[in-house]
Amino acid sequence: MPDNRLIDTYGLTDIGKVRSNNEDQFLVATLRKSMDLKHTSLTIADSFENLRDSEAHILVVADGVGGVPGGEFASGTAVEALIDYISHTMGCYYGHDVDREHEFIGQLEEAVQHTHEQVQHAHGSKGRGPATTLTMVILIWPRAYIVQVGDSRGYYLRKGRLKQFTRDQTMSELMVDEGVMSEAEARDSGLDHVLASAIGVDAKPSIGLLDLEWGDTLLLCTDGLTKHLTDIAISEILQRSGSAHDLCHQLVSTALERGGRDNITVVIGRMGEAEDR
Amino acid sequence: MIQKKICMIGVFGTGKTSLVSQFVHSKFSDKYHSTVGVKIDRKQVDLSETTVNLLLWDLAGKDDFEGLQTSYLRGSSGLLFVADGTRRETYDQLFELRETVFQAVGEVPSIVALNKADLTDLWALGQKEYDALLAADWHMLKTSAKTGDGVNEAFYWLAAATVKS
Repeated sequence: MPDNRLIDTYGLTDIGKVRSNNEDQFLVATLRKSMDLKHTSLTIADSFENLRDSEAHILVVADGVGGVPGGEFASGTAVEALIDYISHTMGCYYGHDVDREHEFIGQLEEAVQHTHEQVQHAHGSKGRGPATTLTMVILIWPRAYIVQVGDSRGYYLRKGRLKQFTRDQTMSELMVDEGVMSEAEARDSGLDHVLASAIGVDAKPSIGLLDLEWGDTLLLCTDGLTKHLTDIAISEILQRSGSAHDLCHQLVSTALERGGRDNITVVIGRMGEAEDR
Repeated sequence: MIQKKICMIGVFGTGKTSLVSQFVHSKFSDKYHSTVGVKIDRKQVDLSETTVNLLLWDLAGKDDFEGLQTSYLRGSSGLLFVADGTRRETYDQLFELRETVFQAVGEVPSIVALNKADLTDLWALGQKEYDALLAADWHMLKTSAKTGDGVNEAFYWLAAATVKS
């Protein structure tokens, strides 16, 4: 990665104005692998170039499901279990190899399954206890690997256009997909916030990826943000200049100004030139 | 077990995601969702001599704003091109797409799915178009992600072709 490039990441959570506890969790981390080649008799030293300063950025948000005892702990247990698993398994993958990429994608699926089982184990439940959403991006430049369970969202902003790269795993979406309800019926059904997939209960992870470009901004958020900010409002804030820290604070404070009915959590990654900051 | 990466390629709204959903989950939804980036699914396929684990990369459709991102194609073993048989222009674009894709990954096994075959009243393709595909050395099948017609056949044909190549 050229030295003048910067991946600026930050995360922020707020309890909101109504809830008595914060059931959201987030994590922003960087894994690094580097090799400082001192001397070699090899004439193909360039082969090791991809090991120099390889790094992976990990961004996670999780929203514990309310109304269930232990919901506030499920999100924490999930993020801890996920990161523990990833740190033990993904150490050797930093891109560049197609076969290893397939293995890595398999490991992401296994990581979600492990996390799901850990939440059930920690809370002594078998599908009837605490649950949480989980949305994660592992960024190995320029590729963002995406894992999603539940309705916490991922967006990216590119050249002024905001796109949601996750799809809400809610009962209303499921009913429309199954042909049981029309979109209008689903909107009135009250099933918008009933999860069709959640860690700890019935996890059906969605796996995907996205190649990023310099200038893009990534956003992961819980529904405490999207209850108050439309995609247009989010886009307007993400297009402002400023660091990931600044934008996180602006998003959260806007959601609070508009009512803060739920816990609000945002994680931002800005792919920018160092001199932009 | 052998693992093969299959990429779904076509312009937006041709039914790439629906074909994968029908093949992997035996489900179809009328609701249109635009794919962003790549959605990955997998399915194990038993062929007569071996079992193949297909990694299905459902690529976002090419539209007016974003072209096909060839970086996603790296390491593909097979390509499933999709056209919407009710929208003639999606067929026309197949040839340009194939050229772009083959430049990126070489001539890997590929098949064309002429999708939405259940919409017979709106069907916009005929023998002339089928002959043009055959003349271009393309294996072709009519498919319906809605009814499932031709879907398994298309994926199984491609899986077998990737093993033979």
